[in-house]
Amino acid sequence: MTWDTIVTASPTFILGLPLLFAFLTTLVGRFSKRLGKLLFGVGLLLTTFFVGVMSYQVLTDGSWFYVFGAEQPSPENLLSFFRITFVADGFAVLATLTIAITALAAGIYSYSFMKGESGLNKFYTLFLLTLAGVNGMVLTGDLFNLFVWFEVTSVASCALVAFRNYKGKSVEAGLKYMVLSTVGGLFVLFSIGLLYGQYGVLNYALLREGITGTFIDKLALGILVVMFAMKSSSVPMQMWAPDAYGEAPGSVTPFIAITSMGSLFVLFRLLFGVFSVSISPAASGSILIILGVLSMIVGVTMALVQSDLKRLIAYLSVSQIGYMMMAVGVGLATLNTGEYESFGELAMQGGLFHMINDGVYKALLFLSAVAVVHATGIRSLNELGGVAHKMPYTTFFFLLGALSIAGIPPLSGFSSKLLIYKSVYLYSPILVIIALVVSIITLAIIGKAFFNAFLGPNQGLVKNHISKTMLLSMGILTAVLVLFTLFPNVVVTEIVSPAIEGLIGSFEGVLP
Amino acid sequence: MSWDAFFMTMPYLAVVILLSIGLYTVLFKKNLIKIIMGIAIMQNGANLFLVSLAYRDGYYAPIFTSAESTDMVMPTAHALTLTSIVIGLATTALMLSFTIMIKRHYGSINTEDVRRCKE
Repeated sequence: MTWDTIVTASPTFILGLPLLFAFLTTLVGRFSKRLGKLLFGVGLLLTTFFVGVMSYQVLTDGSWFYVFGAEQPSPENLLSFFRITFVADGFAVLATLTIAITALAAGIYSYSFMKGESGLNKFYTLFLLTLAGVNGMVLTGDLFNLFVWFEVTSVASCALVAFRNYKGKSVEAGLKYMVLSTVGGLFVLFSIGLLYGQYGVLNYALLREGITGTFIDKLALGILVVMFAMKSSSVPMQMWAPDAYGEAPGSVTPFIAITSMGSLFVLFRLLFGVFSVSISPAASGSILIILGVLSMIVGVTMALVQSDLKRLIAYLSVSQIGYMMMAVGVGLATLNTGEYESFGELAMQGGLFHMINDGVYKALLFLSAVAVVHATGIRSLNELGGVAHKMPYTTFFFLLGALSIAGIPPLSGFSSKLLIYKSVYLYSPILVIIALVVSIITLAIIGKAFFNAFLGPNQGLVKNHISKTMLLSMGILTAVLVLFTLFPNVVVTEIVSPAIEGLIGSFEGVLP
Repeated sequence: MSWDAFFMTMPYLAVVILLSIGLYTVLFKKNLIKIIMGIAIMQNGANLFLVSLAYRDGYYAPIFTSAESTDMVMPTAHALTLTSIVIGLATTALMLSFTIMIKRHYGSINTEDVRRCKE
């Protein structure tokens, strides 16, 4: 097997390696716990490596389709219809990169954070299964395959939320998440049935050609939008998110958050890649904008009244999801019109840049907040205080994340928000006013949290030590954040623009 | 509408009924076990939908030795149904085990009592 074959097959490795190592860790972990732990790290690193390989190849040589089964379907050979396509394009690169950064940080953080929990091998298995599931969701080019990965992600991430099953709250949050995900998955399956019944194909590219925009298509699209919006914790289906983020083991909280962002990636892929040709993009774009604005307002309002540090950040993350939906919604609403050239593309750039940005700073914020909770054993902002005296590094990391989520100028959160403001203003100034107000309230909330938890006289609350691996994981995220801050233009031209091309461009080369 | 056409729509009617019963149960029942039963009913509805879509009058099962290849139904929908049944088993098992743990921690499986996350 030459290197070129490996590069072409890199989507397989991105899915297959976490799956393989997921079960290998449990198997080996029965005999040697240390080896199981090591294998978890190796699996994560190898997956990240192949994400890097795929990204490099896509960004230098352009996208390709990796097909399991027959290369081309032909009516002569019925068996040739058994094929599953994986799409390796700019959009898949953006999504897998976002996931890989967070997964790596959360994985490294888990090493010392989860020390002392029992059944750790199963934790590693669930973690890697979730990683495989999310990567599968964003890479697949086939509707039914999407359903399978959706369910893999649901089952594994819900079990991960409820991992500390000696706490009733964790199990409660896990069950809540699970019921919603399963109902969501069933309706996704139902709408896949609606599409398959009409066109007899499941492949994105073939569906894109085939869909005529009948009433049933619109129904299927509506169901898909609602279900994936629910999984991406958009208002009005956000109620599971604060519970799941709050009660999951601290180290995987950002990872659970990234699975919901994976659903958002899938939603965008379906809207642009499959439905935008035949069903009016203006209408579906407006729905995205409405959902986005609602998420922004409700998320930030609910965050205002939270006194629990983790739930506060969870609600802020709901409101950040709103920014992405609004910006990409503006891009979708103006698609195929002259307005797309003048500001729609800029809105898309802002929205997609905000996604990768948000993945990084949200993870940083969650992990540093979890470090505080880990060190003090207190989650309530009313009782925390003066932590900065004993935890200078964590304070610095939290401050960076906080300034970034609030969009304070030099930081990368500002660059993406500025792109959104500039472009959405031309679409509708009122949306920008709402976005600005939400941004200011975000600053107030995160500022309040920072002052309450970190500043003030030393109250001697810090009892546990923050290990070096935890600091390393936050350091990695900070390094990425600093890179995004220093070179936002490079990120936009090198990663985000190919992603937009992949999202809007047709799936050429995969058709029979 | 002829009788044949009417009978062809029967499965879809059953799908609608199953999905509505399931959704009603999930939305309005307070007992966790009943909610999970509602989800199972919805799963069956979705599976029945896929199977009825695949049915073609007068066509053969897609086994390569028994018929001309032009007279066979596409087996994709059946493959989907099988996968979905397996996934349904996994999700139901996981949800039931969550319920067992909730009963152990809270002493109740009524959704009114299972809301400590918000406190």
